[in-house]
Amino acid sequence: MFIYQKKLQYPVKIANPNPALAKFIITQYGGPDGELGASLRYLSQRYSMPYPELKGLLTDIGTEELGHLEMVAAVVHQLTREMTPAEIKKAGFEAYFVDHTAGVFPQFASGTPWTAATMQVKGDVITDLSENMAAEQKARSTYDNILRLSDDPDVNNVMKFLREREVVHYQRFGEGLRIATEKLDSKNFYAVNPAFD
Amino acid sequence: MDENNSCGYKNGLLPECAPLAMAYVPMQQSVKPMYNTAQALSSGTLFPGLDLPFMNMVNTGDLTGTPLGEVMALDFVAHELALYLDTHSDDAEAFEIYKNVLSLASTAKEKFVKLYGPLTKQDLSQAKSYTWLKNPWPWDYCGKTEG
Repeated sequence: MFIYQKKLQYPVKIANPNPALAKFIITQYGGPDGELGASLRYLSQRYSMPYPELKGLLTDIGTEELGHLEMVAAVVHQLTREMTPAEIKKAGFEAYFVDHTAGVFPQFASGTPWTAATMQVKGDVITDLSENMAAEQKARSTYDNILRLSDDPDVNNVMKFLREREVVHYQRFGEGLRIATEKLDSKNFYAVNPAFD
Repeated sequence: MDENNSCGYKNGLLPECAPLAMAYVPMQQSVKPMYNTAQALSSGTLFPGLDLPFMNMVNTGDLTGTPLGEVMALDFVAHELALYLDTHSDDAEAFEIYKNVLSLASTAKEKFVKLYGPLTKQDLSQAKSYTWLKNPWPWDYCGKTEG
Protein backbone atom coordinates (compact mmCIF):
# COMPACT_ATOMS: atom_id res chain seq x y z
CA MET A 1 0.00 0.00 0.00
CA PHE A 2 1.22 3.46 -0.78
CA ILE A 3 0.43 6.71 1.04
CA TYR A 4 0.79 9.98 -0.86
CA GLN A 5 2.73 12.82 0.75
CA LYS A 6 1.64 16.20 -0.56
CA LYS A 7 5.18 17.46 -1.13
CA LEU A 8 8.11 16.84 -3.46
CA GLN A 9 11.32 15.15 -2.36
CA TYR A 10 13.28 18.26 -3.44
CA PRO A 11 11.80 21.66 -4.36
CA VAL A 12 10.97 22.46 -8.02
CA LYS A 13 10.57 26.21 -8.63
CA ILE A 14 11.24 27.10 -12.27
CA ALA A 15 11.06 30.88 -12.65
CA ASN A 16 11.20 31.03 -16.47
CA PRO A 17 9.00 28.84 -18.71
CA ASN A 18 11.05 27.31 -21.54
CA PRO A 19 9.36 24.62 -23.68
CA ALA A 20 12.61 24.03 -25.60
CA LEU A 21 14.08 22.46 -22.42
CA ALA A 22 10.90 20.48 -21.72
CA LYS A 23 11.32 18.77 -25.13
CA PHE A 24 14.29 16.73 -23.90
CA ILE A 25 13.74 16.70 -20.12
CA ILE A 26 10.53 14.71 -20.78
CA THR A 27 12.81 11.74 -21.52
CA GLN A 28 13.50 11.38 -17.78
CA TYR A 29 9.74 11.02 -17.31
CA GLY A 30 9.02 8.34 -19.88
CA GLY A 31 12.23 7.78 -21.84
CA PRO A 32 14.41 4.65 -22.11
CA ASP A 33 16.33 5.47 -18.90
CA GLY A 34 13.68 7.59 -17.19
CA GLU A 35 12.03 7.51 -13.81
CA LEU A 36 8.86 5.66 -14.87
CA GLY A 37 10.89 2.69 -16.07
CA ALA A 38 13.07 2.89 -12.95
CA SER A 39 10.15 2.78 -10.52
CA LEU A 40 8.36 -0.04 -12.37
CA ARG A 41 11.57 -2.02 -12.79
CA TYR A 42 12.40 -2.02 -9.06
CA LEU A 43 8.87 -2.34 -7.74
CA SER A 44 8.22 -5.25 -10.13
CA GLN A 45 11.49 -7.06 -9.38
CA ARG A 46 10.73 -7.15 -5.64
CA TYR A 47 8.47 -10.17 -5.83
CA SER A 48 11.11 -12.64 -6.97
CA MET A 49 13.78 -11.47 -4.52
CA PRO A 50 14.47 -14.17 -1.91
CA TYR A 51 16.35 -12.02 0.64
CA PRO A 52 14.81 -9.40 2.98
CA GLU A 53 17.64 -6.90 2.39
CA LEU A 54 16.80 -6.91 -1.33
CA LYS A 55 13.04 -6.78 -0.81
CA GLY A 56 13.63 -3.70 1.37
CA LEU A 57 16.11 -2.06 -0.99
CA LEU A 58 13.93 -2.49 -4.10
CA THR A 59 10.86 -1.25 -2.23
CA ASP A 60 12.63 1.83 -0.88
CA ILE A 61 14.47 2.78 -4.08
CA GLY A 62 11.40 1.97 -6.25
CA THR A 63 9.28 4.23 -4.04
CA GLU A 64 11.87 7.02 -4.23
CA GLU A 65 11.81 6.74 -8.04
CA LEU A 66 8.06 7.45 -7.98
CA GLY A 67 8.98 10.66 -6.16
CA HIS A 68 11.53 11.44 -8.89
CA LEU A 69 8.88 10.79 -11.55
CA GLU A 70 6.78 13.46 -9.84
CA MET A 71 9.73 15.89 -9.71
CA VAL A 72 10.51 15.50 -13.44
CA ALA A 73 6.81 15.99 -14.21
CA ALA A 74 6.83 19.18 -12.09
CA VAL A 75 9.82 20.49 -14.09
CA VAL A 76 8.10 19.78 -17.42
CA HIS A 77 4.80 21.22 -16.16
CA GLN A 78 6.44 24.45 -15.01
CA LEU A 79 8.60 24.82 -18.14
CA THR A 80 5.45 24.65 -20.30
CA ARG A 81 3.15 26.94 -18.31
CA GLU A 82 1.42 29.91 -20.00
CA MET A 83 2.80 29.17 -23.47
CA THR A 84 1.56 31.21 -26.45
CA PRO A 85 1.34 29.71 -29.96
CA ALA A 86 4.20 31.99 -31.01
CA GLU A 87 6.41 30.70 -28.18
CA ILE A 88 5.49 27.11 -29.01
CA LYS A 89 6.63 27.63 -32.61
CA LYS A 90 9.81 29.44 -31.58
CA ALA A 91 10.76 26.64 -29.19
CA GLY A 92 10.06 23.92 -31.77
CA PHE A 93 7.48 22.46 -29.38
CA GLU A 94 4.73 21.97 -32.02
CA ALA A 95 5.03 18.19 -32.35
CA TYR A 96 4.55 17.59 -28.61
CA PHE A 97 1.93 20.34 -28.33
CA VAL A 98 -0.44 19.04 -31.00
CA ASP A 99 -0.51 15.61 -29.36
CA HIS A 100 -0.51 16.55 -25.66
CA THR A 101 -1.09 20.36 -25.36
CA ALA A 102 0.65 21.19 -22.04
CA GLY A 103 -0.06 17.77 -20.51
CA VAL A 104 2.75 15.57 -19.18
CA PHE A 105 3.01 12.38 -21.27
CA PRO A 106 5.59 9.60 -20.72
CA GLN A 107 7.72 9.61 -23.84
CA PHE A 108 11.34 9.58 -25.05
CA ALA A 109 12.99 12.85 -26.10
CA SER A 110 12.47 11.52 -29.64
CA GLY A 111 8.69 11.25 -29.14
CA THR A 112 8.48 7.44 -28.85
CA PRO A 113 5.93 6.59 -26.12
CA TRP A 114 7.21 4.93 -22.93
CA THR A 115 7.61 1.20 -23.39
CA ALA A 116 8.23 -1.68 -21.00
CA ALA A 117 10.71 -2.93 -23.61
CA THR A 118 13.26 -0.55 -22.02
CA MET A 119 13.25 -2.43 -18.70
CA GLN A 120 13.55 -6.02 -17.55
CA VAL A 121 12.32 -8.25 -14.76
CA LYS A 122 14.31 -11.46 -15.20
CA GLY A 123 13.40 -13.17 -11.94
CA ASP A 124 17.07 -13.95 -11.28
CA VAL A 125 18.82 -12.22 -8.38
CA ILE A 126 22.23 -11.56 -9.96
CA THR A 127 20.72 -10.67 -13.33
CA ASP A 128 18.18 -8.21 -11.94
CA LEU A 129 20.71 -6.46 -9.67
CA SER A 130 23.16 -6.20 -12.59
CA GLU A 131 20.39 -4.68 -14.70
CA ASN A 132 19.68 -2.15 -11.95
CA MET A 133 23.30 -1.10 -11.63
CA ALA A 134 23.40 -0.53 -15.40
CA ALA A 135 20.07 1.33 -15.25
CA GLU A 136 21.39 3.74 -12.61
CA GLN A 137 24.44 4.48 -14.78
CA LYS A 138 22.25 5.05 -17.86
CA ALA A 139 20.07 7.47 -15.93
CA ARG A 140 23.16 9.21 -14.56
CA SER A 141 24.54 9.65 -18.11
CA THR A 142 21.19 11.05 -19.24
CA TYR A 143 21.26 13.65 -16.46
CA ASP A 144 24.88 14.47 -17.43
CA ASN A 145 23.69 15.11 -21.00
CA ILE A 146 20.77 17.25 -19.80
CA LEU A 147 23.22 19.32 -17.72
CA ARG A 148 25.35 19.82 -20.86
CA LEU A 149 22.34 21.20 -22.75
CA SER A 150 20.44 23.23 -20.14
CA ASP A 151 21.57 26.64 -18.94
CA ASP A 152 18.63 27.29 -16.59
CA PRO A 153 19.87 27.25 -12.97
CA ASP A 154 16.41 26.43 -11.56
CA VAL A 155 16.20 23.35 -13.82
CA ASN A 156 19.82 22.35 -13.27
CA ASN A 157 19.54 22.35 -9.47
CA VAL A 158 16.84 19.69 -9.79
CA MET A 159 18.80 17.72 -12.43
CA LYS A 160 21.95 17.74 -10.27
CA PHE A 161 19.98 16.42 -7.29
CA LEU A 162 18.39 13.64 -9.36
CA ARG A 163 21.75 12.75 -10.94
CA GLU A 164 23.38 12.39 -7.52
CA ARG A 165 20.58 10.03 -6.45
CA GLU A 166 21.59 7.68 -9.31
CA VAL A 167 25.13 7.54 -7.89
CA VAL A 168 23.82 6.67 -4.41
CA HIS A 169 21.44 4.02 -5.80
CA TYR A 170 24.30 2.46 -7.79
CA GLN A 171 26.26 2.09 -4.55
CA ARG A 172 23.29 0.52 -2.75
CA PHE A 173 22.51 -1.93 -5.56
CA GLY A 174 26.19 -2.87 -5.60
CA GLU A 175 26.01 -3.55 -1.87
CA GLY A 176 22.82 -5.53 -2.48
CA LEU A 177 24.71 -7.69 -4.97
CA ARG A 178 27.42 -8.24 -2.37
CA ILE A 179 24.82 -9.33 0.19
CA ALA A 180 23.29 -11.71 -2.39
CA THR A 181 26.64 -13.26 -3.33
CA GLU A 182 27.55 -13.77 0.34
CA LYS A 183 24.51 -16.03 0.60
CA LEU A 184 25.49 -18.00 -2.51
CA ASP A 185 28.16 -20.62 -3.13
CA SER A 186 31.34 -18.64 -3.82
CA LYS A 187 32.76 -21.63 -5.73
CA ASN A 188 30.02 -21.16 -8.32
CA PHE A 189 27.66 -18.19 -8.02
CA TYR A 190 25.71 -19.48 -11.01
CA ALA A 191 25.01 -23.01 -9.81
CA VAL A 192 21.37 -22.14 -9.13
CA ASN A 193 18.96 -19.19 -9.29
CA PRO A 194 18.03 -18.62 -5.62
CA ALA A 195 14.86 -16.87 -6.73
CA PHE A 196 13.59 -20.09 -8.35
CA ASP A 197 15.57 -23.19 -7.39
CA MET B 1 35.43 5.73 10.85
CA ASP B 2 36.71 2.35 11.84
CA GLU B 3 40.10 2.99 13.41
CA ASN B 4 41.26 -0.52 12.61
CA ASN B 5 41.51 0.12 8.94
CA SER B 6 43.53 2.58 7.00
CA CYS B 7 41.03 3.48 4.28
CA GLY B 8 39.41 6.93 4.17
CA TYR B 9 35.71 7.71 4.00
CA LYS B 10 35.78 7.69 0.23
CA ASN B 11 36.97 4.05 0.26
CA GLY B 12 35.06 0.89 0.99
CA LEU B 13 35.72 -2.74 1.70
CA LEU B 14 36.25 -5.51 -0.86
CA PRO B 15 36.73 -9.25 -0.26
CA GLU B 16 40.38 -10.20 0.09
CA CYS B 17 40.01 -13.18 -2.23
CA ALA B 18 37.21 -12.29 -4.60
CA PRO B 19 35.84 -15.12 -6.77
CA LEU B 20 35.96 -14.48 -10.52
CA ALA B 21 33.01 -13.63 -12.74
CA MET B 22 31.26 -11.33 -10.28
CA ALA B 23 30.97 -7.55 -10.03
CA TYR B 24 32.14 -5.98 -6.77
CA VAL B 25 31.10 -2.58 -5.50
CA PRO B 26 32.92 -1.95 -2.21
CA MET B 27 30.73 -1.87 0.90
CA GLN B 28 30.45 1.59 2.47
CA GLN B 29 32.37 1.16 5.73
CA SER B 30 30.60 3.52 8.06
CA VAL B 31 27.59 5.82 8.33
CA LYS B 32 30.03 8.59 9.19
CA PRO B 33 31.08 11.11 8.07
CA MET B 34 27.67 12.63 7.25
CA TYR B 35 26.73 16.05 5.92
CA ASN B 36 24.45 18.23 8.00
CA THR B 37 20.77 18.14 7.08
CA ALA B 38 20.78 21.25 4.85
CA GLN B 39 23.88 20.19 2.93
CA ALA B 40 22.54 16.66 2.47
CA LEU B 41 19.41 17.93 0.69
CA SER B 42 21.27 20.39 -1.53
CA SER B 43 23.96 17.80 -2.43
CA GLY B 44 21.50 14.98 -3.08
CA THR B 45 23.27 12.68 -0.61
CA LEU B 46 23.93 12.47 3.12
CA PHE B 47 27.35 10.93 2.55
CA PRO B 48 30.38 13.00 1.43
CA GLY B 49 32.04 9.80 0.17
CA LEU B 50 29.20 9.35 -2.36
CA ASP B 51 29.00 13.02 -3.40
CA LEU B 52 30.43 12.79 -6.92
CA PRO B 53 29.24 15.75 -9.03
CA PHE B 54 29.45 16.13 -12.83
CA MET B 55 31.95 18.75 -14.09
CA ASN B 56 32.10 20.22 -10.62
CA MET B 57 28.46 21.37 -10.89
CA VAL B 58 27.68 21.57 -7.19
CA ASN B 59 24.40 22.67 -5.62
CA THR B 60 24.90 25.18 -2.89
CA GLY B 61 22.42 27.19 -0.89
CA ASP B 62 20.27 26.30 2.06
CA LEU B 63 16.79 25.04 1.22
CA THR B 64 15.87 24.55 4.87
CA GLY B 65 14.93 28.16 5.63
CA THR B 66 11.18 27.42 5.43
CA PRO B 67 9.01 24.92 7.34
CA LEU B 68 8.57 22.92 4.10
CA GLY B 69 12.30 22.99 3.38
CA GLU B 70 12.98 21.72 6.89
CA VAL B 71 10.53 18.84 6.42
CA MET B 72 12.04 17.97 3.02
CA ALA B 73 15.59 17.94 4.39
CA LEU B 74 14.78 15.79 7.44
CA ASP B 75 12.71 13.36 5.35
CA PHE B 76 15.57 13.16 2.86
CA VAL B 77 18.15 12.39 5.54
CA ALA B 78 15.83 9.74 7.00
CA HIS B 79 15.46 8.16 3.54
CA GLU B 80 19.23 8.17 2.95
CA LEU B 81 19.73 6.44 6.30
CA ALA B 82 17.01 3.90 5.44
CA LEU B 83 18.77 2.95 2.19
CA TYR B 84 22.05 2.64 4.11
CA LEU B 85 20.35 0.45 6.75
CA ASP B 86 18.82 -1.77 4.04
CA THR B 87 22.37 -2.93 3.28
CA HIS B 88 23.85 -2.35 6.81
CA SER B 89 21.04 -3.57 9.05
CA ASP B 90 23.44 -4.46 11.91
CA ASP B 91 24.86 -0.93 12.18
CA ALA B 92 23.57 0.12 15.62
CA GLU B 93 25.07 3.61 15.41
CA ALA B 94 23.27 4.28 12.11
CA PHE B 95 20.00 3.01 13.56
CA GLU B 96 20.27 5.37 16.57
CA ILE B 97 20.89 8.32 14.22
CA TYR B 98 17.94 7.16 12.07
CA LYS B 99 15.57 7.08 15.04
CA ASN B 100 16.66 10.57 16.09
CA VAL B 101 16.10 11.95 12.56
CA LEU B 102 12.66 10.32 12.38
CA SER B 103 11.74 12.06 15.60
CA LEU B 104 12.97 15.45 14.35
CA ALA B 105 11.08 14.94 11.07
CA SER B 106 7.91 14.16 12.95
CA THR B 107 8.19 17.41 14.97
CA ALA B 108 8.93 19.46 11.82
CA LYS B 109 5.90 17.94 10.06
CA GLU B 110 3.58 18.79 12.95
CA LYS B 111 4.76 22.40 12.74
CA PHE B 112 4.26 22.49 8.95
CA VAL B 113 0.81 20.92 9.06
CA LYS B 114 -0.41 23.47 11.63
CA LEU B 115 0.76 26.36 9.44
CA TYR B 116 -0.01 25.17 5.90
CA GLY B 117 -2.24 22.10 5.92
CA PRO B 118 -1.98 18.33 5.57
CA LEU B 119 0.97 16.42 4.11
CA THR B 120 -0.88 13.10 4.31
CA LYS B 121 -4.52 12.20 4.76
CA GLN B 122 -3.70 11.13 8.33
CA ASP B 123 -3.01 14.80 9.15
CA LEU B 124 -6.73 15.53 8.54
CA SER B 125 -7.62 13.87 11.85
CA GLN B 126 -6.94 17.26 13.51
CA ALA B 127 -8.31 19.48 10.69
CA LYS B 128 -11.48 21.61 10.90
CA SER B 129 -12.50 20.85 7.30
CA TYR B 130 -11.35 18.82 4.28
CA THR B 131 -8.26 20.94 3.62
CA TRP B 132 -6.64 18.20 1.51
CA LEU B 133 -7.73 20.03 -1.64
CA LYS B 134 -6.18 23.35 -0.64
CA ASN B 135 -3.74 24.85 -3.20
CA PRO B 136 -0.87 24.79 -3.94
CA TRP B 137 -0.23 21.21 -5.05
CA PRO B 138 3.41 20.13 -5.04
CA TRP B 139 3.95 20.48 -8.80
CA ASP B 140 2.41 23.96 -9.07
CA TYR B 141 4.77 26.87 -9.57
CA CYS B 142 5.02 28.67 -6.23
CA GLY B 143 7.47 31.42 -7.09
CA LYS B 144 9.47 32.50 -4.10
CA THR B 145 6.63 32.09 -1.62
CA GLU B 146 6.15 29.18 0.73
CA GLY B 147 4.21 26.29 -0.72
